[in-house]
Amino acid sequence: MFKKNYNPENQPKAWLFLLPSLVIIFLFSVYPLFRSLIMSFQKGTLINQRYAGIENYQKVLTDPVFFKALRNTALFAFTVVPIALILSLAIAWIIFEKVKHKSFFETIFFMPYVTSTIAIGIVFRYFFNGSYGIINYLLSLVGIAPVNWLDNVNMSMTTLIIFGVWTSLAFNIIILLAGMRNIDQEHYKIAKMFGANNWEIFRRITFPQLIPTFAFLLTVNIIAAFKVYTQVYALFGGQPGIAKSATTAVYYIYDKFHIAGRPGIAMAATVILFVIILLVTFVQNKILKKVGE
Amino acid sequence: MKKIVTCLSLLFLGLLAIITVFPFIYMILAGLMTYSEATSIPPTIIPASFQWENYAEVFTKAPFLRYFINTVFVSAVTTIATLITAVLAAFALTSLEFKHKGLVIALMISLLMVPYESIIFTNYNTIARMGLLNTYSALIIPFLTSIFYIYYLNGYLKSISNTFYKAAKIDGASDLAYIRRILIPMSKPALVTVGILTFISSWNSFLWPLLVTNEKKYRLLNNGLAAFTTESGSDVHLQMAAATLTVIPILIIYLIFRKEIIKGVAKDGIKG
Repeated sequence: MFKKNYNPENQPKAWLFLLPSLVIIFLFSVYPLFRSLIMSFQKGTLINQRYAGIENYQKVLTDPVFFKALRNTALFAFTVVPIALILSLAIAWIIFEKVKHKSFFETIFFMPYVTSTIAIGIVFRYFFNGSYGIINYLLSLVGIAPVNWLDNVNMSMTTLIIFGVWTSLAFNIIILLAGMRNIDQEHYKIAKMFGANNWEIFRRITFPQLIPTFAFLLTVNIIAAFKVYTQVYALFGGQPGIAKSATTAVYYIYDKFHIAGRPGIAMAATVILFVIILLVTFVQNKILKKVGE
Repeated sequence: MKKIVTCLSLLFLGLLAIITVFPFIYMILAGLMTYSEATSIPPTIIPASFQWENYAEVFTKAPFLRYFINTVFVSAVTTIATLITAVLAAFALTSLEFKHKGLVIALMISLLMVPYESIIFTNYNTIARMGLLNTYSALIIPFLTSIFYIYYLNGYLKSISNTFYKAAKIDGASDLAYIRRILIPMSKPALVTVGILTFISSWNSFLWPLLVTNEKKYRLLNNGLAAFTTESGSDVHLQMAAATLTVIPILIIYLIFRKEIIKGVAKDGIKG
């Protein structure tokens, strides 16, 4: 029966192979998107929800805690991302240009990417400890008074940012190294033939050729930074810093959803965060395009 | 002048390399110290004698063996399932022609841009209504496939010429036989990368297991570790031993497969 209609341009059996994936994708990726949007207009508990209009949005947008969370998230993103990118660029370039045992350094610098943020966060918590932490000890060797890294409202964001930079180097370095390897070796040969020095080569060849890689890293890093959560959890022992001083957007959502039992408010905050991430990514891509020209 | 620059750059590189590995090394060392060694000033670097009984104490204070088995089980099932579903889907997308194929690919690419954190809470809701809270299923089901890896394999399988598929069809091979005998052997490097990275990200997952399980029985290593840290208070030497338990298996996998992992990540920029 079906044989007669055989048509190599249309093979419906493809859906059979896609089915397992599509079921999971619809149930756990597509459906929740719409569901989150609907829930952001509802109030009440998870079991008993009723329409609430834009009440949730009004509540979130007038909540000083939400703004604090957003401010912290933005501060984290706009300090960690540039610092980590510049450091990674320097490291990747030195490995690429000056080192013989490249794979040894690659292996070392990539380690933080594969290891659990929670476990390493606990190690950093130990290092940052005010009375017996190794960081304060090292600072005392150069004559700096001990810093209260973990239990000081004004320090918790700094501590979080240091940890954030440490964790985001790994991915950047590997991607930048791959980008550098993709640059045509002929460029370097010719530049050297004309007597260009290292700095000129870097500025005129390496860096311009790396701009697409840079753009990619910037986007991925900013998105990741806006979702920061696990690092806070690990560093401050399950708390968003002392007196909630390091609370972030995802922390706020988690708190409203899971602890306070206000899913509507959590979802309104989620939608707002999602829109902010889209906007930041969009604006940043526009700027990069302008710079690229 | 050039020598000075080279020296300074190497010094900088060395310093940062030390900053990167030091937390791992000191975690292992501090896990073998006594409490007073771990909290002494100036800090102890090498413990006077290795306190292996720290590990025994960790195992008696919290069921880390159980956490460990849970984590291995959940990560292994997730990895195998992801590999199967992603290969089947990527096969359909590369070898077969069907209506709305473009739509399916466009849908996947746009879903890639959705931050996972924005759907995770609704997924919690879905799992709760399925009555699956505090089960292994809750930890596994949402991760039975991965849009990213379908997309990744799709790109990889495209490089395998479609003439292989046509030749296999002419020889009378079924689709499954083609996948098993030709597609999988030919795409082995990509599958190894996908497998290892899925395993690692499953091992390191934290927020999802935290949401859907609160019984100790179903805890994974990371969540067990976080809970242990809160419960054990200031016993840093035990915390370091527990952290070592969580990190070491992945570090071993990493050191064995580092080439595949780094190549895979560098090629397509996988961000967990």
